[in-house]
Amino acid sequence: MTPRLDRRELLGLGVSLGGLALFPRCLRAEPAAAGRVRATVVLIHLVGGNDGLNTLVPYAHKRYRSARPTLALGREAVVPLSEGLGLHPSLRPLAPLWEKRQLAIVAGVGYPQPDFSHFRSTEIWQTAQPERAPTFGWVGRALAERPSASPLRAVALAREQPLAFTAPEPTVATLTDFGRFRLPAGLEEVARLYATSGERTGAAGAVAAAGERALALAHKISRLSPADGPWQGPLGEDLRKALSLLEADLDLEALHLSFGGFDTHAAQARVHGELLGALAQNLALWQARLERAKLAERVVTVVYSEFGRRVDENASAGTDHGSAGPVFVLGNGLTGGLLGTQPALDDLDDGNLRFTTDFRRIYAALLRHAWDQDPAPVLGDVTPLELFR
Amino acid sequence: MGQPLAPPAAIAHLLRRAAFSAGAGTAEMESAPGYEQAVERVLATVDEPPDLLPADFDAYRPGTIQHTWLARLLAGRGALAERLAFFWHGHFATSQAKVTDGPLLWRQMELFRSQGAGRFEDLVLAVSRDVAMVRFLDGNANRKGHPNENYARELMELFALGRGAYSEHDVRELARAFSGWGSRHHEFVFTESFHDAGAKTLLGHSGSFDGEAAVKIVVGHPACAPFVCRKLARFFLAPEPPEPLIERLVVAWRATDGRVREVLRALFLDPEFRAPAHARSLVRSPVEFVVAAARLAGHAELPPAVEGSLDRLGQVLFRPPSVKGWTSGTAWLTAGTLVERLRAAQVLAEGVSVSAAEAAILREFGATPPPALRAVLSAAPVERRLALAFASPEFQLA
Repeated sequence: MTPRLDRRELLGLGVSLGGLALFPRCLRAEPAAAGRVRATVVLIHLVGGNDGLNTLVPYAHKRYRSARPTLALGREAVVPLSEGLGLHPSLRPLAPLWEKRQLAIVAGVGYPQPDFSHFRSTEIWQTAQPERAPTFGWVGRALAERPSASPLRAVALAREQPLAFTAPEPTVATLTDFGRFRLPAGLEEVARLYATSGERTGAAGAVAAAGERALALAHKISRLSPADGPWQGPLGEDLRKALSLLEADLDLEALHLSFGGFDTHAAQARVHGELLGALAQNLALWQARLERAKLAERVVTVVYSEFGRRVDENASAGTDHGSAGPVFVLGNGLTGGLLGTQPALDDLDDGNLRFTTDFRRIYAALLRHAWDQDPAPVLGDVTPLELFR
Repeated sequence: MGQPLAPPAAIAHLLRRAAFSAGAGTAEMESAPGYEQAVERVLATVDEPPDLLPADFDAYRPGTIQHTWLARLLAGRGALAERLAFFWHGHFATSQAKVTDGPLLWRQMELFRSQGAGRFEDLVLAVSRDVAMVRFLDGNANRKGHPNENYARELMELFALGRGAYSEHDVRELARAFSGWGSRHHEFVFTESFHDAGAKTLLGHSGSFDGEAAVKIVVGHPACAPFVCRKLARFFLAPEPPEPLIERLVVAWRATDGRVREVLRALFLDPEFRAPAHARSLVRSPVEFVVAAARLAGHAELPPAVEGSLDRLGQVLFRPPSVKGWTSGTAWLTAGTLVERLRAAQVLAEGVSVSAAEAAILREFGATPPPALRAVLSAAPVERRLALAFASPEFQLA
């Protein structure tokens, strides 16, 4: 596999590195260079089931107002996007991105026969195999379709590997702090053990060579520190580490972050507003920092949740597990605006929204655009959504 | 293929493959008068029962089943039975991510341990009725008129035949044969009214097969013996075992009605098994790595820091990443996992006396370790040698 550089990338590298520096990068023989993709996909999972109806709000709809006696948001509250639809007021920091077409919102995303279990629905979103026993994650399968000798291709900012990243080959890592990548004190000679791959033959040579690459990368990561800035809460903590990883130019193909607390069965209004506020402020900062680091062209950020919530609020001023919801996509080169169709409130499926866009169409667009790869072997026969220009 | 390895190198190689490593329980094999006797002593361990469970064993408590199994692996009773249980766990991979009841997974592992060396057909039949497997691959949803094909498909694709040996039609027919095989609470139940007793054609056979008859047909298919023998050879011998060897194993399989113990006897006694090219040709998985190091270091239990790092190392028992089991090869060694291995190497070597450490290195590497390793070990202070040996590229290989 040879590195593929399109004109835009060539220009980008030329500007940032100078023409001369470009050639060694292209000609570099080591296999890690083969992993270079057009963009890193950053996935943010809103854990618990985000209330899509109070995120992308059909504020003018009679059925919305009657279904949500205490939770409904009115015209005066929302950030208007289009006729009858607006964003939760806490999402106002995203408005400038919307105007610059750096934010696309896909309405009504879901899958047939919705499952209301957090675990199972997360499994469906992360494996993209709703109709069978899951094998590997959708990202893991995508990586396996494009083999690479890189010792690290995707990082989850988490203690436990998300299902999306489970892969035939564990070239994915979890990261809670950079220090875990530091070579333990007292084992400095070990680096020498692995640096002598040339003296070894057969399997030991292969292990030493793989180990040498892995240790070099681990060393690089161990010296990083989280990016500074007014990041907020646990999502901010993970984003600042993610930003450092991206700035370090490690050729990572995907990152996964989780942001919990969206399972709002009771007294939803305040907590949901705070969560969305933290999400929006962090994402606005994230996108600004990516711009500043000249990475905005090379990163696509996707915010999803395992399901939305029921249309009718419950007796505890909260909402119960539901079905379809909006997906947010941030990046440059987006078509932008509102994609898909807001599900009809007067044609419910047992009290739940009927999805209008299959989530796999978003993944297919990401595979095509970000990783330049045929979605079919990973996702089956799915038409990519027109997310990118 | 070069002169076959001779004892003690041949026995050390055998133990790395059939007992995780030398350690508790293997002294008798290491002192065998010859290689063949060592093989017989290894094979005899499949009949050794495990140690009694601790009185406070509670399979529901998180982490308990992994902890207890790891302690058994370190204790070394029934070395080959445990090794086979680990093999079958990766083969019939069932995960706690879906089957949340610890006791069911523990029972499945005990099934692998007690029947893993027997007839493959008996094992498949027992697995087909195993409640963890029934739950994992949706047996309870497989009913007459509403077949669920999960188990039928994986049985042929991953457990017994491999892709290409069957058609989609066979998958549907096999699912019909298993319809009604479900579970209630923690027990297997057959529900007659859910069973499709109609005529079926499966892999060229016709009849009103039930699940038991269908298992016989699947295991009797010509693709089954080579498929399972190849997988055993990949686990016990080499990433790409030579085809003539597979053919010899298939002969042993057919002569003994698919008895795994006899296939392994044929494998361990085959001159190919001791070919020098196969020595240290398999990358140790994370569990194999920590268990081998802990056994050599003489630990009765894994240090908690090491046990707690298995998820970062990439392999948690009872949590295979998918029904396809775990990966293999150098893919185990990534930027994240290798540093964790080195950390574990250091913790596992802590508190081991200098003389015990020297003995452990001798047991694993023999009197003449590979030159690159020997150079580093001889330059290092004695108290650091064991950690370095565990951290070395050579030790990542069995």
